[in-house]
Amino acid sequence: MRIGNALKLACFGLWANKFRVLSAMMGIVIGLFAVIVLISIAVGVKDTLLKQMGSLGAEQILVMPGRVLDTANGEKDFLSGITSVPSTLTYDDAKAVEAVPHVKTVTPQLETVSKAAYGEQNVQAVLVGSTHQYSRVQHAALAEGRFFTDEEQQSKEKVVVLGSNIHDALLGKTAQPQPGSTGAPAAEERAWWQRALDSFMAGTVVSAQETTLIGQKLTIGEHTYTVIGVLEPNATLGSSTDNNIVMPIETALASTDMKYLNKMIVEADSTDVIDEVDGAVFSAIKQNHKEIDFSVVKQDQMLGAIDNVTTILQVMLLGITAVALLISGTGIMNVMVMSVRERTREIGVRKAIGATTFEIMAQFFFETLLLCLIGGLVGIGLGYGFIELWNHYIDAFTLTLPLWAVKLALGSTMVIGGLFGIYPALKAARMKPSHALRFE
Amino acid sequence: MLVLAFYSEMKNLGGRDMIQLHRIKKAFHTGSGKQDILRSVDLHVNTGEYVAIMGKSGSGKSTLLNILGALDSADSGEYVLAGKPVHKMRQAKRTGLRNNEIGFVFQQFQLIPNLSVYQNVLLPLTYGRKKLGRKKARVMQLLEEVGLADKRKQKPARLSGGEKQRAAIARALVNEPSILLADEPTGSLDETTTETILQLFDRVHQQGTTIVVITHDQEVANRAQRVIHLRNGVLV
Repeated sequence: MRIGNALKLACFGLWANKFRVLSAMMGIVIGLFAVIVLISIAVGVKDTLLKQMGSLGAEQILVMPGRVLDTANGEKDFLSGITSVPSTLTYDDAKAVEAVPHVKTVTPQLETVSKAAYGEQNVQAVLVGSTHQYSRVQHAALAEGRFFTDEEQQSKEKVVVLGSNIHDALLGKTAQPQPGSTGAPAAEERAWWQRALDSFMAGTVVSAQETTLIGQKLTIGEHTYTVIGVLEPNATLGSSTDNNIVMPIETALASTDMKYLNKMIVEADSTDVIDEVDGAVFSAIKQNHKEIDFSVVKQDQMLGAIDNVTTILQVMLLGITAVALLISGTGIMNVMVMSVRERTREIGVRKAIGATTFEIMAQFFFETLLLCLIGGLVGIGLGYGFIELWNHYIDAFTLTLPLWAVKLALGSTMVIGGLFGIYPALKAARMKPSHALRFE
Repeated sequence: MLVLAFYSEMKNLGGRDMIQLHRIKKAFHTGSGKQDILRSVDLHVNTGEYVAIMGKSGSGKSTLLNILGALDSADSGEYVLAGKPVHKMRQAKRTGLRNNEIGFVFQQFQLIPNLSVYQNVLLPLTYGRKKLGRKKARVMQLLEEVGLADKRKQKPARLSGGEKQRAAIARALVNEPSILLADEPTGSLDETTTETILQLFDRVHQQGTTIVVITHDQEVANRAQRVIHLRNGVLV
């Protein structure tokens, strides 16, 4: 039997029935499009999370309130969650950790939500108290101005660095970033008379022409702070600094009611001593606490947890797409069975003039396989196009299409074509020529 | 015409019985029980003979043609075609026999609608085991002989009934068969077109091809050298 001949006849068969082929193909196109897009979403989310958590650095350790339960094999079980207890971590704990051997830096962070006012603008922001290491550890680059120094931190200077959203909102450039805020509408949305009034009231009122708040004073609670820097937009999932107002931790402790640390990032000398430092940090903090109500987490533990979560996400998405593909495969099989029925006489003629059972089977099998393959390639192409468009126009997170996803998609189309092509092919091949020729 | 002439030369070399049917029986199981279609059919057709088998509707003509064409097998009896015992052949061998030795012409033409006239005529060569060189040239010569060379690219739907049947005859002859089996070949055609097709059959016969035509049309049967009647599953 010449496989090439059967393949050629299958191509003829598809070409001759192109409209039916197109309609049958739609299912597989949509199925494969879904596979590609959903996998790229899952991988994109995973990459973004890993990148974000990866920013912790392999030599860094995260100390946070609450306790992460251990699994049976002694690993941190993030999936079971962190016990929700109020933070008891203090700045003194951070100072104790600083004394641990091989600890290079400690970056404690206090965090609360507060209102900040500048002129008529009043916004809700995440108030962060930290050290001068904050911008480096959080990878928060400065758009303008500067970050506060160690000296300013020690002398409790009332200086702040603004996240980009907060800066824009206080300038009236954008709508209030936080829900529930009493912020004024954006400058562009104001009526002409409001903008004119603004321009007459210089000093205490935000001017639409103002482009920076560097050097300006804003009010948080009962205190006034000088803006010394503005952070660049940092739109990452979960831990964006865009809505933050960062001030020295000593200042925060003195002028706000923040007392307990939200987290503490400890940096070791090198990754070689990370396990040693991990244990020593735990011991150092434990000395100040009656019970273990905090967790010390290394980067690899965090990444492992994210990996677990994203793997579950991927498995779920793959399950959904598998069902979608199964449905489209069944659809194709039905179309092919109908096609075999419609072409019964043709099959009879082919058999009468010398087509073997295997040739008929191969022809219909290849027709289904080719149909799935072409549909699959179109689906992958459309998925790729969607990903390109998404990455070009949408900044939320980047969709990533790994090569294995393309291979998986192509493989699954071949499997679908193979599996769902067998039945129609057998149905066609088993026909008796004398019966098929009489079929009405 | 050269192709057909060479073909007839080859056929005349045999000089033996083309078809030998001996006590062929065939029954079908229907809802009302077993129905004998062919009771005990004996038939001898010589090489190069033109035979017409006549019978009323339901007399078993089509069943006999299916057996002669190796499309179906008899329940019992012996069938030898061109010296080959068809009754002993398995399905695969029968398929090869159909491709090599038999050309079919059907009442409803049975051209594949999505293929062009040229592709329809080429089809037996596609499945053929014969090492036929210059397939394209052979198809074109046959299309010229049946007067369809200029319509080779057209789909069957755009042909007249006579043209469709001429295309079907070209397809039946393309693989140089030993025998041409025709089932009511003019049943769907008007008188003028019928005459054209019968003239084409005459020409093919004159060139030495064995022809067995199944018909209920006396005019068609009159063109044959021998007319056999099938009544109640027996040839008379």
